[in-house]
Amino acid sequence: MAHFPFPPHKYLTYMPLLLRQLLLAAAAATSLNAQALTQSELQELASSREWLNLGHYHPNTFSDGYTSQADDSDFFLSPNGKTSPEAELRATINAVQQPGGGNDHPACRFPARDQWIRSKLDLATPESRQCPAYEEWTETLNTQTVTLVFAASYLNSPSSMFGHTFLRLDPPSDDETTDLLLANTISYAADAAAHDSELLFAYKGIFGGYPGITTVQPYYEKIRLYSDIEHRDLWEYQLNLTPAEVRQMLAHAWEIKDRNFDYYFFDENCAYRLLALIDVARPGTNLLDEVSTHAIPSDTVRWVVKKSLISEVGYRPSAATAVSYALDELPEDQQALAAELANDDIKPGAIAGKLPSTAQQAAVLDATYEYVRYQSEAEEWPREQVAPLSHSLLLARSQLPQTSTPPSPPEPEVRDDQGHDTFRASLSAGRWGERNFNELTLRSAYHDVLDPPAGYRAGAQLQFFRLDARRYTDNNELQIEKLTAVEIRSLSPRNQFFSPLSWQVGFGARRSDTGTDRVLAPYLEGGAGGSVRVSPNGQAFALATADLELDDDLNRGYDIAPGVDLGVLYQSDRLSALGGIRSKAWIVSSQHRQDQAYLKATMHWSRLVSGFAEWTREHHFDRYQSLWKLGLHIYL
Amino acid sequence: MKKLIAGALLLGASTVTFAQPGCGLGAMVWKGQSGPAAHILAATTNGTFGNQTFGMTTGTLGCDTNESVQSMALYMDSNADKIARDMSRGEGENLETLAVLLGVEQGDRESFRALMKDNFAAIFPSADTTSGQAVDAIVALLEQHESLSKYVAA
Repeated sequence: MAHFPFPPHKYLTYMPLLLRQLLLAAAAATSLNAQALTQSELQELASSREWLNLGHYHPNTFSDGYTSQADDSDFFLSPNGKTSPEAELRATINAVQQPGGGNDHPACRFPARDQWIRSKLDLATPESRQCPAYEEWTETLNTQTVTLVFAASYLNSPSSMFGHTFLRLDPPSDDETTDLLLANTISYAADAAAHDSELLFAYKGIFGGYPGITTVQPYYEKIRLYSDIEHRDLWEYQLNLTPAEVRQMLAHAWEIKDRNFDYYFFDENCAYRLLALIDVARPGTNLLDEVSTHAIPSDTVRWVVKKSLISEVGYRPSAATAVSYALDELPEDQQALAAELANDDIKPGAIAGKLPSTAQQAAVLDATYEYVRYQSEAEEWPREQVAPLSHSLLLARSQLPQTSTPPSPPEPEVRDDQGHDTFRASLSAGRWGERNFNELTLRSAYHDVLDPPAGYRAGAQLQFFRLDARRYTDNNELQIEKLTAVEIRSLSPRNQFFSPLSWQVGFGARRSDTGTDRVLAPYLEGGAGGSVRVSPNGQAFALATADLELDDDLNRGYDIAPGVDLGVLYQSDRLSALGGIRSKAWIVSSQHRQDQAYLKATMHWSRLVSGFAEWTREHHFDRYQSLWKLGLHIYL
Repeated sequence: MKKLIAGALLLGASTVTFAQPGCGLGAMVWKGQSGPAAHILAATTNGTFGNQTFGMTTGTLGCDTNESVQSMALYMDSNADKIARDMSRGEGENLETLAVLLGVEQGDRESFRALMKDNFAAIFPSADTTSGQAVDAIVALLEQHESLSKYVAA
């Protein structure tokens, strides 16, 4: 153990008792005496980073002092604990020294605090307490290393781009009975009441109102949820924590396990609480300092990578990724067979006559089974259809000899955390009609289909909190061109196996042409349709759209436009382009049609910088106008 | 070690109510679905919907069997369709996990895998097989096997 660069007290619990006492005696010379602790010494300890982390204390925004993010009186030993780190520390020091033991003893309820206080203070009572429940818990968890698991976003659901993270507690790897599917996981999630409506769920999830709870579940349950039901690939980042750090993390997980921390979608979310756990495990990491207004799970993974906390990265493709890959790997005639099998047009027994080799038969049956399972999850194929089909496919498969392992999708070359950063600042120069302008665009998150595609799902777009501001050069007029609150777009190609809907939705405020003026009007837009692949990197789409604009300059105060959008999207590591035609028929106020042809292209020079060009030709109110734009995107 | 694994499984399942003690129950191997809307919303806001995601019932837990069989039954309950898939192929991580739960040593894994594959039709006789019935069939097969019977001795 000598090769770990940590002070000896971290290892006390691993050492024989005699050696431990010797070391304690030696350490006592440098530790503070708890009985003779002065007020200033207590204050200093209470304001140390480690203590603030253990209590989840954060500086108050509008006043001096600290408040804990824990929303649970059982998390505090002092009545003033929520707002006073010092009172809580004093109460904890007194409490852990009380005689006795057992599950309800403060030292057993707060083992991480107890461990930390003992490393700082020379306590009167020795560390010999029996905490049966806590000891049984850690023994059952049997943890050697900890892995941060990131559930990536999935095809056709850009809103899942937010991602999700949880911790997996890995057993010792040299053990023959080790099985990672059985490893336990720790996650933090909003505890929604089952009877709440979906709308209420979304509202409370975003604006707060649900208690957040820490739960422990086996990894296979997580795989079922994320990989099988939600079609999300999992990235496994093994943390390089030492055994002592792992112990401290578990000790603190025990402290917060059943305690309530109110859940907020944007900042105090799943990822946030895990960062706090890592900060406690390795003092000085200070991952929470990286969080500003929001903690996007994929960003939190970047921070963990940046702080050199990762030793190894693994990839677990979702059921959806695996089935797409397995079907793609089949030659065309075998794909057709798989489709016939899945539609019950032919029976599994019949493929022996159609394919000569048992390896080919096995590959078709395997891929078809995965596809049927996927469809039963994603498309809700009814059980009466799926169960007999699934059973007959596997029965036929079991009668074929064991062949080589079915192909599994290769790990993507660029991980989600290696994609471009999500904050984007853009500068451009352009011309609208007869007027020249400069434009500044700031986008707080996340990804646009014309941004560098590596590490993101093709055809998926999620932007929120984006500001486009223009300065017209003729009269130096400064104008907000557009404020985007949320914009989601999902273009997902259809084929003989999958028929996803392509869709888009967005709202905010934008300049609207009234015929005589351009006014900033709140808008809501949406669209739905389909897309087909036209080249490996290209897809063509057709969407029916609907727009709503509100403004008192519109003669009825609002306007509505049904419309269409037909276009082609091309995405590659060097160049992304989007072009097409769009038509909107404003039917309430202006009763004019707005027709546009558009072409946008982005050259990706590096992960940091892209150059972009944009052209739109518009026919509206019986006149033609053109927009030109040329500029730079910088990803930060 | 076996005991530890069983404990880990039960720890994970402790939020679930064991509503149906007794033999031969358990969930359908090929279940129907509850609908994607809830999942999408849950994914978007990173929340959970109470216990909806854990539609687990227990199979042979009330039976007079040894602890490793009980943990196998519990694992079967929530992963039956994947275990069935692995068994039809004679390989796969879920089949390995089953072997781990039963305590099957490395030296016996090959014959375990082969036994499961060769007897697929006996373990899953119909589309309406439940995980509990599959567990009972697996135990019966192992009991009759020369070198594997030791893993299911009560």
